[in-house]
Amino acid sequence: MFSPSWSRLSCVALSSRGGLRTLSLFSSSGSSNWSKVVSDAEKIVGYPTSFMSLRCLLSDELSNVAMHLRKLVGTQHPLLNTARGFVYDSKNNLQMRGLVVLLLSKAAGPSHTASDLLAQDMVSGIYPSQRNLAEITELIHTAFLVHRGIVNLKEWTVSDGPLKDMQFGNKMAVLSGDFLLANACTGLAQLNNTKVVELISSAIGDLVQGIYYENSHNTEENGLTDGVDVAAWEEQTFLSHGALLAKSCQAAMELAKHDKESQRLAYKYGKHLSLGHKLNSDLQPFVKSRAGEPLSFSLSAAPVVFHRQIIGRETWHHQLQQAKTLRNQLDYSKLLAAVKSEKGVSTAMDLCCYHGNKALEAIQAFPSSEARSALENIASAVTKF
Amino acid sequence: MAGPWWRQCPRLTTGCTATNILENLWHLKGRPVSSSASASLLSRASCISRPETRPPTGAQINMKAGNFLIRHQSRLLLPTLQSCCCRATHSDTKPKDPFTLAQKDLTSLYDDIKKELFVSKVELKSLCEYYFDGKGKAIRPMIVVLMARALNIHSNRAGDLLPGQRAIAMISEMIHTASLVHDDVIDGSDKRRGKRTINEVWGEKKAILAGDFILSAASMALARIGNITVVKVLSQVIEDLVRGEFMQLGSKENENERFKHYLEKTFKKTASLIANSCKAVSILVNSDPEVHEIAYQYGKNVGIAFQLVDDVLDFTSGASQLGKPAAADLKLGLATGPVLFACQQFPELHAMIMRRFASKGDVDRAWQYVLQSNGVQQTNYLAQHYCKEAIRQISRLRPSPERDALIRLTEMVLTRDK
Repeated sequence: MFSPSWSRLSCVALSSRGGLRTLSLFSSSGSSNWSKVVSDAEKIVGYPTSFMSLRCLLSDELSNVAMHLRKLVGTQHPLLNTARGFVYDSKNNLQMRGLVVLLLSKAAGPSHTASDLLAQDMVSGIYPSQRNLAEITELIHTAFLVHRGIVNLKEWTVSDGPLKDMQFGNKMAVLSGDFLLANACTGLAQLNNTKVVELISSAIGDLVQGIYYENSHNTEENGLTDGVDVAAWEEQTFLSHGALLAKSCQAAMELAKHDKESQRLAYKYGKHLSLGHKLNSDLQPFVKSRAGEPLSFSLSAAPVVFHRQIIGRETWHHQLQQAKTLRNQLDYSKLLAAVKSEKGVSTAMDLCCYHGNKALEAIQAFPSSEARSALENIASAVTKF
Repeated sequence: MAGPWWRQCPRLTTGCTATNILENLWHLKGRPVSSSASASLLSRASCISRPETRPPTGAQINMKAGNFLIRHQSRLLLPTLQSCCCRATHSDTKPKDPFTLAQKDLTSLYDDIKKELFVSKVELKSLCEYYFDGKGKAIRPMIVVLMARALNIHSNRAGDLLPGQRAIAMISEMIHTASLVHDDVIDGSDKRRGKRTINEVWGEKKAILAGDFILSAASMALARIGNITVVKVLSQVIEDLVRGEFMQLGSKENENERFKHYLEKTFKKTASLIANSCKAVSILVNSDPEVHEIAYQYGKNVGIAFQLVDDVLDFTSGASQLGKPAAADLKLGLATGPVLFACQQFPELHAMIMRRFASKGDVDRAWQYVLQSNGVQQTNYLAQHYCKEAIRQISRLRPSPERDALIRLTEMVLTRDK
């Protein structure tokens, strides 16, 4: 199943740093492995990042929303699922971005140039402003999880639930997303650094563009258009899944007045980690055979996108037709086999390793520390399946 | 204690003391005084020490307002407001029309905004630019540039607007528009300014993203001004806008609380943007917190008056004039000033307010009650009251054509019919 180039790359990655700790961490596989890496890393930064997010979640405004959410039970409104994710989420790591920002802050260490930053203000080796930034990053990420789930009411069908409820769900989704974003804005201003405000605001703009593209892409799921090439995929995925983390990592360095080079490396780590992470999760249905679970995957998942580009529009259209069942639904196992028979999966795997390694490379310039090891482990984990 | 003001609003006094209402009307909860931006008249009185500028207590103001209101029964008489309360403070020459005076600073407004909204994706770009078509009134940027010029003259700074002040004028319009785009989705509106709304044309999801994008562009432009205090002041607006929107979700059972809730919502949804934009341009040119407070108070009072008149127009203006259907607020379940006043004359309205005019025939019946009551008139009185306070505040600045145009603007706010 694993392509030769992938295992070679990952071996290089592991042996270049070696270390028993790393090896033992990765002895298990899959998401439990990922969870372990994350929970280990959380211990390093002192406490997890959820304080500001918690404050928002516990506010009058969002409690109000939570109360109203009951009306949506039984409908197909996406806000329900997003809200469930607030309560328990082990797989998608809601707080992953904040955690990476904290680890990088700690790995970079105290500032040597700024006189107004005091080492004694640091908690577990992290400045308070960097902790706030980590939480703002999470707020923005969550805000867009919510706004992603706005439903176009003209596309409403009876199976979604009553139209009135869907309208109400939209209203709640707009308001709660706006509320999180507004809190992010005031939080950003409190960081007392206009460069950081500009940088993170631009990340919000990137995120919007990325999600906007995602939308138009998804409406083309009928498969009548060509797949995009790897470079175009990377560009779009950077906007929707990488820019926020990359720019937050950079901003964390700026807050501690670290030089341009540290900022560049932090940005690079955030960018490549995000792309690797996205590829990893897109690849999951193609590398795992979960018995019992109904097989399904997005037609905009990286392996499918690459597959479409490799085989060309007409063949893809043909394969889609063949995978249609009598009731005009997609037989995903058939489609999976078709995708697996070509190079889409291995292209995605190679690319995933490439980005994981690029992230590892970026982090090497930081002094060796527990925090750096954790960042290395996270980068390695995204290349594991 | 009960002056003529209360006789004007007989129902207002039933069930509570005069002072209570008075506090409800005036005591909008403000920001901490530390950055000098308290919205409360009473608490401001204690932080400004110069005795001659010490404002009268709430009661005195209302007594005066009452006297004034006795003399002028209609908002159309308002042109005399200016001469009656500011005779001593500004020159006799007729103030220039604010629109004309601000024109030169606003010619490139929409082009500048479009530059900020640069994005390679063609469709997203056209969505974001949709309302920056030059057909809006751009009343917020106008107030901001006039305020900036008035403050510059007050601060002995001759010459052009500062680049940051110009940017704030632009940002105020961007934040306003972003919130309109989201409001239209929340309210399910299909028309705005005589055009189909973005959600109507492109769907709700894209509309929300367009609003988010405009906001991010505004936030970047704001950061580039390079003044962190200005960033803080305008970020507060974004939070107020959302909190104001949340406040519209609920209805208060208690009448007193309902009025307070309504005014607080009005401040957050409309006045905060104007108040804080005015404050932001003052921060860039003057370091005196008292000057910031004048700018903020003018913006706050004009902003609330503006919205009160807007709420009146929802009852009195034809659909064609406002560019949106009449009684839109009632249809959305919202009880605005005219309804809240009418409810004091017609307690039957209470139940309808609580169920947000959701039963069949509620909207029509409420509409009739409001027109039979003096709710419209009283809301106009209240708007006059806020304008008078705005004039009192701005009159503390050194005279200038721009300052006088801001005074004239308060009158235009009250007499506008669309």
